[in-house]
Amino acid sequence: MSTASASVRRSPFKKWCDQNTGLFFLIPWILGFLIFKFYPFASSLYYSFTDMNFFKGIREYGIMNYIDIFTEKETRTALLITFKYAFITVPLKLVFALFIAYILNFKIKFVNLFRTVYYIPSILGGSVAIAVLWRALFRDTGVINTLLSFFGIQGPDWLADRTWALFIICLLRVWQFGSAMVLFLAALKGVSVDLYEAATIDGASKTRQFFSITVPMITPVIFYNLVTQIAQAFQEFNGPYIITGGGPRNSTTLVALLVYNYAFKENEMGMACALAWVMFVIVMVLTVIAFSSQKHWVYYAD
Amino acid sequence: MKKAIALALAGVMSVGLLAGCGSSGSSSSGAASESATGETSATTASDSGSGSGDLSISWWGGDSRHTAYQNALAAFTEETGIQVSTHYGAWSGWEDQTSAALYSDNAEDVMQVNWNWLSQYSGDGSKFVDLNEYSDIIDLSQFPQSTLDACTVAGKLQALPVSMTGRIFYWNMNTFKQAGIEEVPSTLDDLYAAGEAFKTNLGDDYYPLALGEYDRMLLMTFYLESTYGKPWVEDNTLQYTVEEIATGIDFIQSLEDNHVIPSLQTMNAAGIDGNNSIDKSEQWINGMYAGIFEWDSSATKYQGSLADPSGFTVGNEIKFGDKANGGFSKVSMGLAITETCQDKEAAAKLINFLLNGDGASIMGSECGIPNSASGLAAAEAAGAVDELVLEANTKVMAFVDFQLDPTYESNDLKANPGGVYTDVFGGYSYGEYADSTEAATDLYDGVTEALEDAAKG
Repeated sequence: MSTASASVRRSPFKKWCDQNTGLFFLIPWILGFLIFKFYPFASSLYYSFTDMNFFKGIREYGIMNYIDIFTEKETRTALLITFKYAFITVPLKLVFALFIAYILNFKIKFVNLFRTVYYIPSILGGSVAIAVLWRALFRDTGVINTLLSFFGIQGPDWLADRTWALFIICLLRVWQFGSAMVLFLAALKGVSVDLYEAATIDGASKTRQFFSITVPMITPVIFYNLVTQIAQAFQEFNGPYIITGGGPRNSTTLVALLVYNYAFKENEMGMACALAWVMFVIVMVLTVIAFSSQKHWVYYAD
Repeated sequence: MKKAIALALAGVMSVGLLAGCGSSGSSSSGAASESATGETSATTASDSGSGSGDLSISWWGGDSRHTAYQNALAAFTEETGIQVSTHYGAWSGWEDQTSAALYSDNAEDVMQVNWNWLSQYSGDGSKFVDLNEYSDIIDLSQFPQSTLDACTVAGKLQALPVSMTGRIFYWNMNTFKQAGIEEVPSTLDDLYAAGEAFKTNLGDDYYPLALGEYDRMLLMTFYLESTYGKPWVEDNTLQYTVEEIATGIDFIQSLEDNHVIPSLQTMNAAGIDGNNSIDKSEQWINGMYAGIFEWDSSATKYQGSLADPSGFTVGNEIKFGDKANGGFSKVSMGLAITETCQDKEAAAKLINFLLNGDGASIMGSECGIPNSASGLAAAEAAGAVDELVLEANTKVMAFVDFQLDPTYESNDLKANPGGVYTDVFGGYSYGEYADSTEAATDLYDGVTEALEDAAKG
């Protein structure tokens, strides 16, 4: 019997199975996505249009949560602080990561040790232990103020002053520059040496080479880091939750922390969902802006 | 063949994924879960099945309370053969996880509950069992009817009162003596004088008293009730006008202005905030903050955290006005059985053991002075009642005039951060309000809104 004739006699179901074998392999992922991603995503959108409370249920439907978000002082303040936090930390972190990566790209002694040391904060920085340590460092009689006092400087109330408290939270985030640094380092290594040699022959200074060769050639990585850092900055939770609890006077209550407070302290799940969706839309808009701007400043060699 | 194996693996993974999603009903969980005998327990309520007698219990508290519960549960297991798995931790963040567990019907079989949780989380009676139905197992006659009534919500006795409590001053007299003061403060003028003495003799960093946002609200309520002679809330209605509340806020501010209490900015700088209580601060431990206004059941916790506890003294209640003593008592906490419990009779036996039986002699005054007559007798006979706690409780109960409305402690008001009390007293201390009337208006509106919300159910 020929193979061709056997193929002709196969049932339609078997044929369909053969054509869609890949689908079976995708079933675990599809189920995981539907149950753990899509369902919570869709239900949170639904709840955002209700006054859902854990223990009182739903008593009202409408856009009242979204109105509250843009009219109530607490939420407007949290949004403003989150923007401030993101716009301070993202550029600082990128610049700092690129600066360190640039230095570590030189052939210096113990470079691998330095790379490891500079990467460690990224592993530790988001942990609860480091946040607790940060808190101890910056309290009124903490290490920082003690060190300042050796130089006759009276340190501020880092954690109790509304301006300084946000600075402390930002500092913790910028300190975790390791991941971005590693990506920059990989990108720097990918820049062709020929370009630098040609520029040197043409008399270009190191600074000129950096801005005219290095930066343009690594713009795809800068772009990637920018988008991921923006998304992460808007989701920051651990730092303010553990170090300041959102205080003093809500000056470090970022949106993610406020979502938590609404959901689990006040049981107002409807409001928490609406706020989460507003945050999602903000991050999406910023990402879209970043993507649409890339044709003006991101250089893809291929 | 390879394709068949791959398909089988994909199928198994899918089934595994779905199995992972399955609800396990009531199960004990948490980082601190362990068996009553101290061994890691794989047994959970859902595993136990009907009638196996295995239970789970949750509570919050300090180390000494954890030890007392564990010892009592070990005795219970020895007496009944019923295994009890435990879930416990510190108060910070406890209510957040407990409310989520209750909502998802994932809470432990027996829960130590705050009094206001009964109305806040089970206002319709859906979360906790009516303990009247187990009166053949639990001896309800040991409890005063008034406290049973206080725990009756939606017509169900949803918890048994562990103890009654109220706020009182505690002083670190070692620091007071360093400041040249030999007697505990008994009047408002004594407080002002102490503030002056601390500043002059010990320096700007020393204060006779430390009050967080919620402590300020409580002390203001004591002040107002004493000055105006009426309860804070009655018949679900706030009994005070904005002008009257403003006098209370002025009173709290006068304590700050006279160096009796540190500003909230000073306390925040020391690391004291919603996540970190005063007893964990260096200022309290080393005696720089020499007084607190706390629940009578908290004496041992605050005494235990002092570097030198020898000067820890239960103070006197202070009568601020002439209309009443002021102040209130309330059910401090209760033990409740969740509706999801698979073996409610065993849970009832456990509660009876802890509150009326031999367990009470082990628990002693770790959760306050036992409300149960037989529990108190057992604890006293075993010498397990801490004298400090007893002294504080006796003073509170002899002094206070009023009962507390359960809405007073609702999360909308009390949460830190985000609660009305935190916003008003924090804002005023940080100078965000133009005057006390503006702050009082916010407090009045916030409390009124919470009461209206509570009335809706």
